[in-house]
Amino acid sequence: MSSLISRPWLWAWLASAVVFALSVALSGAGQAGGLLYAALSFGAFAAIVGIGQMLVVTLGPGNIDLSIPAAMTLSGTLALKAMGGEPGTALLGLGVALLVGMGVGGVNFALIRLLRLPPIIATLAASLIYQSLAIWSNRGLRIKPPVALADFATGRSLGIPNVALIAIVLAIVVWVLLERGVWGRWLLATGQNARAARLAGVPVESVRAGAYLSVAVLAAVSGYLLASFSGGAALNMGQQYLLLSIAVVVIGGTSIAGGFSNVPGLWGAALFMFLVVSMLNAYGFDAGARMMLTGVIIIAIVIAANARRSRS
Amino acid sequence: MALTRALSRTLHITALGIATLVIATVSAVPAYSDTSDKRIALSNNYAGNAWRQEMLSAWRTQTSRAVKIGTVAAADAFTIGENRPTDQAAQIQNLILQGYDAIVIDAASTTALNGAVQEACDAGVVVVSFDGIVTAPCAWKVVNDFRQWGREEVEYMAKRFPEGANLLEVRGLPGTFVDDDLHQGIVDELKKHPQLHLVSSVEGDWAQDVTQQAVAGVLPSLPKIDGVLNQGGEAYGAAQAFRASDRKMPVIILSNAQDELAWWAQQDRDNGYQSISISNAPGIATVAFWVAQQILDGKEVPKRLTVPLLHIRQQDLDSVLAKTPKGSVADQIFSQADVEKLIAAARDKAVQRSQEASQ
Repeated sequence: MSSLISRPWLWAWLASAVVFALSVALSGAGQAGGLLYAALSFGAFAAIVGIGQMLVVTLGPGNIDLSIPAAMTLSGTLALKAMGGEPGTALLGLGVALLVGMGVGGVNFALIRLLRLPPIIATLAASLIYQSLAIWSNRGLRIKPPVALADFATGRSLGIPNVALIAIVLAIVVWVLLERGVWGRWLLATGQNARAARLAGVPVESVRAGAYLSVAVLAAVSGYLLASFSGGAALNMGQQYLLLSIAVVVIGGTSIAGGFSNVPGLWGAALFMFLVVSMLNAYGFDAGARMMLTGVIIIAIVIAANARRSRS
Repeated sequence: MALTRALSRTLHITALGIATLVIATVSAVPAYSDTSDKRIALSNNYAGNAWRQEMLSAWRTQTSRAVKIGTVAAADAFTIGENRPTDQAAQIQNLILQGYDAIVIDAASTTALNGAVQEACDAGVVVVSFDGIVTAPCAWKVVNDFRQWGREEVEYMAKRFPEGANLLEVRGLPGTFVDDDLHQGIVDELKKHPQLHLVSSVEGDWAQDVTQQAVAGVLPSLPKIDGVLNQGGEAYGAAQAFRASDRKMPVIILSNAQDELAWWAQQDRDNGYQSISISNAPGIATVAFWVAQQILDGKEVPKRLTVPLLHIRQQDLDSVLAKTPKGSVADQIFSQADVEKLIAAARDKAVQRSQEASQ
């Protein structure tokens, strides 16, 4: 039992369950399915960018990617422009998104490695360039996704939203990679002590490059899916995912000091972040109260998760 | 162009003779009151959405013509990188140093630019703010009536649902005066129609994806929704959320975004969907430009000028869609004559008001 309580992922899931129960208490049990479905749909986007942010945060103090919103916007914009709403172009769009992701990740890491810029500065400055490229590429026009792709992004299989299935598969792949893969072990070792890892023969710079490439590619995929899901790319579409990507990492029990990842907690946190706003909306709180309560609840969960861990 | 004008004027004046020259130049200043040598700058705080892009494009087309025919010497647009008041204040100071005669501002903050705006006024520069206005008293303010917008939305719902209805409100970016005014207009008008019930209010941040998420999250807890009030730019996101929930599509007030209008036209063809479109035309930038030109021309312009909202009715839908580029926003560009009319109307109203006050 004590080993269960000491699991940092538990708190995110517990909080989600409580918030979910409070919402259902208001709306009636008949609406539980609808709420869960919406939470899975929207949680998926936060989970995908959160997985990327988690890999970077695991690298250790100072590592973070602030270019996630701009990467999402650029990838969504260029992918939808390439597809032009024509049928049968979904894979072309995905290809464009992946290329954008690799380009963004490559530039970010080059700035960090070659110019020795702190990641906060490098990714923030680069994000201005990506955002400008997105503006310049289509002057803010909203292009519709191909119908088949839009139907897939908003559709479901086996009762689960397709976007959530993608995010769950991605989460499992990364989880296995971290728990069982060599690269994952290298990443954790680098985050715990980069110097020791280097002396032990871990290719630290390759590991870092991999993490920064992964976060950008995941952000690009998320942007591509979100643009297809919400009926077109908008220049402000990624905005909320900067804070959200960091929040789900922290609430999910990943150590902000690096060296410890937590994939299951991340999904719990992604659901929680959606459910808490929905619950406060349903109970009729206004914007100010809602933001304050959200902040207080997040702080409480992070404290709870960390207190348990340090005691155990 | 401006040079040849100046030359011909000089020649003309020389022909009048040296004796009359002194009198001519002194007395001719107000009579000519020419703005052909005046330079106007646009200081813009943000370019990251379709509305702002259309605003800049409206500014470009309208002012490039004015520069070409020599109404003004220059009308350059400057946009700051990030939506930060400090950056914009520094930019305004630069524009003063560069000697612009007027600065037209879409402001990042209603109050934080007041210092820089005051400096500009003190340096004799005409300052006109629009859309994102500044509160500095020396600046002219070109505004939309957002309360009116909110009232019109509720009025329409009252007309559509005389028997009563449940309404959902999607609000914009919290803390902005636009969000406050629009919401206040809605609240004021709702008091007159007790049969309309505002059952929930969510925050959409004027973004489709945020709206879609907020509406999808709150829908399971809500009763049947008959109508959705919003602030422009959220309608499509709200429609997507309703579509995913298998509920009946409510009456959603639309804005001027092309994708919303196209969706409306499609729904109309499929099942006779009826609604209205209310929005603030990005062409308000062209009003601000002509206001600056008129002030430089020595005309008397009221400090606060209200620009009418853009309405698109069901019967005009197809013609508006035909001339709106795909993915852009429908717009209304104002010519010099349009703005002169607006100013005259506002002046008459002000005179009328002061007469009523004195009676």
